[in-house]
Amino acid sequence: MNYFPDEVIEHIFDFISSHKDRNSISLVSKSWHKIERCSRKSVFIGNCYAINPERLIQRFPSLRSLTLKGKPHFADFNLVPHEWGGFVHPWIVALAKARVELEELRLKRMVVSDESLELLSRSFASFKSLVLVSCEGFTTDGLASVAANCRHLRELDLQENEIDDHRGQWLNCFPESSTALTSLNFSCLKGETNLAALERLVARSPNLESLKVNRAVPLDALTRLMSCAPQLVDLGVGSYENEPDQESFMKLMAAIKKCTELRSLSGFSEVAPLCLTAFYPICQNLTSLNLSYAAEIQGNHLIRFIQFCKRLQRLWILDSIGDKGLEVVASTCKELQELRVFPSDLHDEEDNDTAVTEIGLVAISAGCPKLHSILYFCKQMTNAALITVAKNCPNFIRFRLCILEPNKPDHTTSQSLDEGFGAIVQACKGLRRLSLSGLLTDKVFLYIGMYAEQLEMLSIAFAGDTDKGMLYVLNGCKKMRKLEIRDSPFGNTALLADVDKYRTMRSLWMSSCEVTLGGCKRLARNAPWLNVEIINENENNDLMMERNEEDEREKVDRLYLYRTVVGARKDAPPCVTIL
Amino acid sequence: MEGCPRNRETCPKLLDLIPQERKWYHDEGKNNTDQEKKLELRLAPPGGDEEDGSVMKKKNTKKEAEDKTIFNLSGNHFSPSNKTNYAPHHISQKRTAPGPVVGWPPVRSFRKNLASSSSSKLGNDQINKSGDGEKQAEPKREGMFVKINMDSVPIGRKVDLSAYGSYEQLSFAVDKLFRGLLAAQRDASGGEGEGKPIIGLLDGKGEFTLTYEDNEGDKMLVGDVPWQMFVSSVKRLRVIKSSEISSALRFGCSKEDKMRN
Repeated sequence: MNYFPDEVIEHIFDFISSHKDRNSISLVSKSWHKIERCSRKSVFIGNCYAINPERLIQRFPSLRSLTLKGKPHFADFNLVPHEWGGFVHPWIVALAKARVELEELRLKRMVVSDESLELLSRSFASFKSLVLVSCEGFTTDGLASVAANCRHLRELDLQENEIDDHRGQWLNCFPESSTALTSLNFSCLKGETNLAALERLVARSPNLESLKVNRAVPLDALTRLMSCAPQLVDLGVGSYENEPDQESFMKLMAAIKKCTELRSLSGFSEVAPLCLTAFYPICQNLTSLNLSYAAEIQGNHLIRFIQFCKRLQRLWILDSIGDKGLEVVASTCKELQELRVFPSDLHDEEDNDTAVTEIGLVAISAGCPKLHSILYFCKQMTNAALITVAKNCPNFIRFRLCILEPNKPDHTTSQSLDEGFGAIVQACKGLRRLSLSGLLTDKVFLYIGMYAEQLEMLSIAFAGDTDKGMLYVLNGCKKMRKLEIRDSPFGNTALLADVDKYRTMRSLWMSSCEVTLGGCKRLARNAPWLNVEIINENENNDLMMERNEEDEREKVDRLYLYRTVVGARKDAPPCVTIL
Repeated sequence: MEGCPRNRETCPKLLDLIPQERKWYHDEGKNNTDQEKKLELRLAPPGGDEEDGSVMKKKNTKKEAEDKTIFNLSGNHFSPSNKTNYAPHHISQKRTAPGPVVGWPPVRSFRKNLASSSSSKLGNDQINKSGDGEKQAEPKREGMFVKINMDSVPIGRKVDLSAYGSYEQLSFAVDKLFRGLLAAQRDASGGEGEGKPIIGLLDGKGEFTLTYEDNEGDKMLVGDVPWQMFVSSVKRLRVIKSSEISSALRFGCSKEDKMRN
């Protein structure tokens, strides 16, 4: 290969886009490393504290697209304090300073400020795409800067962010000359929307393929939007509490019929059943459907809708669909690849006999041969069901089961669910992500360590008996990257047994476990390539220092450790101590 | 104290379990396992069977007895007589009573807010169904049912806010709804009949305080805004212990959190 000039090799590398593959290429030889890094356009950083922006830019001077992830996954469930970190600002400052020609920025669980967005919008003339997932810290003013200043913006995708809606006129800030939009998603905004501005924007964006509006876009506005954008492929609608009158309904249906390219439907934070029926004409084209925000639609309406969706590949739904509904899905959606069933009844203790059980899960596994990813919330499960699921679906890549009550055993035998999950990991040889729940002993971890050879991410809650459980996983799962554990009896022995293991892992989270401050300190001493963070929301640093000596035995509330090449971060808040 | 007695009849008392192995139910489980084996895939670990497992478990228990004392205390609800009692197993010493667990179930607060905001709608659907089923020309709020929960009472209720015209009336209704339930939870000695009246819900002086979640997901004290404004924005109610007011309002999207951002 080295007989070819660099340009040829670079051209060959252009065909390789996967991050993993490009990382492998860069390890082959010095010259390949150089060619690769100089030609690399897109970089993925799974932990923003693993490296700093300066080193990133130094290595990849041609950077165009950057993906950054900040807070650990359990931040989604309020286990990480708001002020923990994950600020994007220093990255934007550094990229701007180095005059990187950034075109694309994708952030997940990061803190973004209006200032950052303003700086972003002014610093990168060819900026095209901004995707923010589960971020916070900014307002619609920041969006206004992006709209106003990013002349070539094609994609603005805001997914489930906490945005302070100043009810301003950010949509008005897109200049009249802006006609390049391909994707606009502002479904997470809570306030009013300037409908006229939105309609004008959509009307002058002939390339718009994906539009996801927020709840404040009423039915007649939606009808007008769809009428001037029949080319839409991906649509997220608003909130439609009230049944439409005859005329509105007919208009809506007519507009929907014209959207022959529509493949993906979402939104529906509230929807009167009749509104849903207006979408029947395009059901058979849908490959992706997200009805998981429609908390009050009853199962029978959902079932009627889904009966038409024969080409569905991805379905996100609420458990109000019931086992019967899942049986309908199983017999209708033969192309189904990904299913997520979310809980609808989180606060009530009342018996809800329409929620899903192991029966629905088994039905899906039997009916959908292409299923590879599942997230399933339910109130009960059995080993027999899981064993059947494993036999039916050996192709799972992601298997996430959440039994709502911690420690709940198999409800027919009162046994732990070790055997059921054991069957899953044994049968699904390609399993990369697993979330456990229910009553589980050390045994399930023995099975995981033995069989889950491709497992990269494991989520554990209220499980296990002794350190042996965690050790089985650390010793057995060679490809483990992210391990997150809460409320399980794993302690220092497991934590410290094989410190080098953490070189191959991105991060480890342990909260409400048995690890002590002393154990964490010892780990930090033996593994200088790690940042070992102790998060104690109720104390500040000074208090911790005072009680230094006698509290080696004190249990650590939350531990988050991750490998890094740049040492301890400087932006940690008082509640975080980096050992 | 060695392992637990395998004999089903001598069900160990809670105190006897310190510092025994936590999951003694495994022993009864063993009887089922033989029958279950036909249904199971062969998943035997190398060099042994379940026996190895339990032997290891016993050894470990002795070694780690001092670490496990605390969560052994929280007990073992899987005695034969209690087979259907699936009380949660508490491992952390911080939690001593069944109740909501931080960050569990693992659902994003984004979703939690959506689920709760729909509860009043559910009430409306049920009412409208009892009519002729024809389309409603008038506004949907025939009754304004919102869910109401109370700390330490597992059963939630629904109240029809359109039936009241003032905070006092609401407070009175809450007392009527929960007085009996609360007394039952606290296992009143029985001599007091229905239990103590629940008062002081609105002024912070009682043992409990009434709070609510509005349509933006913010948690607030009941009584601060005019009644009609409250009725139009409330999505659900919660009766909390007055001693936990500050933490209850901080948890979840409180206004302070939003302002900090």
